[in-house]
Amino acid sequence: MNLTIILLIVLVVFVGWVISVYNFFVSSKARIKASIQEIGNQLKRQADLIPNLESSVKGYLTHEKGILEMLAEARKLISKGQDASKQISDALSGLKIVVESNPELKANTVVENLMGELRDTSDKVMYSRRLMIDLTADYNVKRVSVPSNIVANMFKFDELKGLETAESGEHLVVSPSEMRSPKVNL
Amino acid sequence: MQNIYEVQQSNKIKSGVITTLFFLFSVIAIYFISQAFGYYNGYEVGGFGYVGVALIVSGISTFVSYYYSDKIVLKISGARVANTKEHKLFASVAENLCIGAGLPKPKLYVIEDSAPNAFATGRDPDHAVICATTGLLDKLTRTELEGVIAHELTHVKNYDIRLMSIVSVMVGLIALLGDWFFRARLFGGGRSRSRDDNQLGAIIMVIGIIFAILSPIIATLIQLAISRRREFMADAGSVQITRQPQGLITALEKISADHEPLEAANKATAHLYIANPFKDKSDGAVGWFASLFNTHPPMVERISILQKMS
Repeated sequence: MNLTIILLIVLVVFVGWVISVYNFFVSSKARIKASIQEIGNQLKRQADLIPNLESSVKGYLTHEKGILEMLAEARKLISKGQDASKQISDALSGLKIVVESNPELKANTVVENLMGELRDTSDKVMYSRRLMIDLTADYNVKRVSVPSNIVANMFKFDELKGLETAESGEHLVVSPSEMRSPKVNL
Repeated sequence: MQNIYEVQQSNKIKSGVITTLFFLFSVIAIYFISQAFGYYNGYEVGGFGYVGVALIVSGISTFVSYYYSDKIVLKISGARVANTKEHKLFASVAENLCIGAGLPKPKLYVIEDSAPNAFATGRDPDHAVICATTGLLDKLTRTELEGVIAHELTHVKNYDIRLMSIVSVMVGLIALLGDWFFRARLFGGGRSRSRDDNQLGAIIMVIGIIFAILSPIIATLIQLAISRRREFMADAGSVQITRQPQGLITALEKISADHEPLEAANKATAHLYIANPFKDKSDGAVGWFASLFNTHPPMVERISILQKMS
């Protein structure tokens, strides 16, 4: 009598454990699927955003660049002792338009914002990939480690690939040119 | 060199051991105090006597503070909702890290204070709040801010606020029981005196008194040890999300180099912050003793563990 009760308890606990591990695998799979969609979502955001940002910043920069060039031209003439009043007035009229539409020349902040936005966007894509990699790693570790591998084998949960990366190739070899520290040329 | 998974595994085990120890200790302390109580009053406490009442009192008070923790803490600290335009970096860093950690985006708050610090609260990831001081947002670079916010997100992910609430229910329960026990002894009736010749009763009484004196302190000490362990776990979790220990290291260095105390913090909210907001330091034997009462592990130790990971 007592033995059957004990056996029954053990059985119930075992079945409960199998269910929880099974649910882990199934829900992991669903989460991984969702995380892959998130990568797509972020890539789409990037593809929509960056070209638009680029063109609007470009517009800004050409406007300011033109004015600065005119001013430089005028300065050159002055240093040569020539009359630069025409150049200056041309530059000033251009400047006026810019100042009227924007209180100050802000190429600096515009570029800064663009750089921030660029990093932010690539971070978002990177982190969405990170989530997918982490989730698949958890899933794969659980799949092969004792005792959850019993359940994985019982229900034939396959290994997931995660971010597909070649297991061998150039990215695992350091070439001589990569050993030198990089120089930044501006 | 320990990799991040080993660090996390060992943290998990240590934290589990301390927490189990805490609950075992609580059960033993409660058992002895209630036994002594029962003996003192001259009758057996029927299953749910003083312990039950103490559990209800401590439970309700903590449950309220747990359920409304975010609102209470934010109110005490004088935090306001972060403006996405004004605190653009804060918002975008938090959003990106949530993508990486697979968490819903928490509510973001800021405290107007130049002392750099941050904390997380809220009962579960869906009600999580992350709060940073304006000093933190001004003084840290993006990478450093990522480290700090990932630390806070790990607290959210690990349900640390829930764990610490359960622990403080137990601490409150023990403290209440001990307190009532002494009150009963000082002011209560003397029914027990007729049974003073019972030797077993006297022994239980002595053990009960010892537990009533010591267990509130011991329980608090274990509670603080759990709190410190959770900080280590959050540091490791932060590295797991960002994979850049250097960011958190320099952030912690900057935070600890700043000696200005955070005015918005008080004793009740100190354990929530990423670094002890009071910045008091002491060395030697006094330092060791004082370190038992710290809510946070020493900064030097945290940084050296992080450096091993990079």
